[in-house]
Amino acid sequence: MISMPPGERDLHAYVDHQLSDADRRMVETFLASNPEISTQVRAWQLDAQQLRAALGGALQEPANPELDPAVIRQRLKRQSRRHLASAAVLLIAVSVGGFSGWQAREMTLASPQLPMTDALQAYRLIAQQGLLPADYKVGDDGDIQGWLDRYFTQANRLPDLSSAGFKPASGRLLSTEQGAAAMVVYESQSGQKVSFYVRPPGPKNYMLPRGSRSDGELQAEYWSGSGYNYAMVSPADTAAAQMLRQTVQF
Amino acid sequence: MNDIDEQLREIIPRLRRFAVSLTRNTSSADDLVQACLERALSSWGSKRTEGDLRAWLFSILYRQFLDAHRRSRRYARMLEFFTGRDDAQPSVERTVIAQSTLNAFDQLPTEQRALLLWVSVEGLSYKEVAEILDVPTGTVMSRLSRARQALRQLSDGEINRPSLRRLK
Repeated sequence: MISMPPGERDLHAYVDHQLSDADRRMVETFLASNPEISTQVRAWQLDAQQLRAALGGALQEPANPELDPAVIRQRLKRQSRRHLASAAVLLIAVSVGGFSGWQAREMTLASPQLPMTDALQAYRLIAQQGLLPADYKVGDDGDIQGWLDRYFTQANRLPDLSSAGFKPASGRLLSTEQGAAAMVVYESQSGQKVSFYVRPPGPKNYMLPRGSRSDGELQAEYWSGSGYNYAMVSPADTAAAQMLRQTVQF
Repeated sequence: MNDIDEQLREIIPRLRRFAVSLTRNTSSADDLVQACLERALSSWGSKRTEGDLRAWLFSILYRQFLDAHRRSRRYARMLEFFTGRDDAQPSVERTVIAQSTLNAFDQLPTEQRALLLWVSVEGLSYKEVAEILDVPTGTVMSRLSRARQALRQLSDGEINRPSLRRLK
């Protein structure tokens, strides 16, 4: 039972038909002799009516067959079958032998992503195809290290490649699922490009052992340090790649 | 199972309407509904509580929307941080033109849109809404009261004056 005069909450409950019959009658009696509050309540009722009318059309939309429960069940079943299949492979692999089983687990469950694929992609987009413009260009007084430090605290310093004829020319920020990444492009006088790429470690705080791999025409040297992963990317089989491979101390 | 599917088919138009009111975009609304149905069907046995099926589905969809929204907000903030721009500003024009109720409704914050849709349009009880939002019924009532005032103000075009002043 509500008390009189009705509070604001009671008035809303009245508008929303959430009062008992007795309470509703009391509110109606009250409203009849309080025109100002009655106007307010009418306005709320009108808003609700208009909203219902305005949104009513949305229920008449033609159905989307993708959303049919039977279709969704099918999709869920396919997905779980795929999980089961990889679980079965894992089981067989583990019973065949310890380490190879572990490897099979990596193969079936871990994503097929190779280290620093994003660094290689960034090199293609930025250094080769020029699809993404630079955020930062090194001018006369350029401090590209300072630019990088604004986004990455205490990351490894940019390697000095001037002895090989490469100087930092531009920088570009990128996003990864784990946060900001950046790529700095070095250029030589002859227009060759190598890139320095820094990103947060992957989802499992995945630190990389010092390594190297080639991917198509590109070569990546990668390592981790100070909480980030790094890569240097260059065209494979060039003097630059050779130089990077031998530069142990980045 | 067919019985469940029949019940779901009846509710799907309502889920789509709710999703559109959240996302303001038909195709991402349907993605949201699909994700919601997948979640609902795969956790049917374990999570389905007694009570209104519609309210349960609304709560799954709403939570998924908030999660996705939070992720995209984080991404937008990151972009803003890097580019020094904020593209997410609502246009002044959109704020000024608040004539119809629907226009006004579209400008309300997410939770107020959800509340008004649940209560005024779908007719859910305060208790059901309280369960969806996981807050006491009293909180639902005061939030609903604020949502109604906001809708009223926007419909009356009271927002015009302050935003016109901002235009100068």
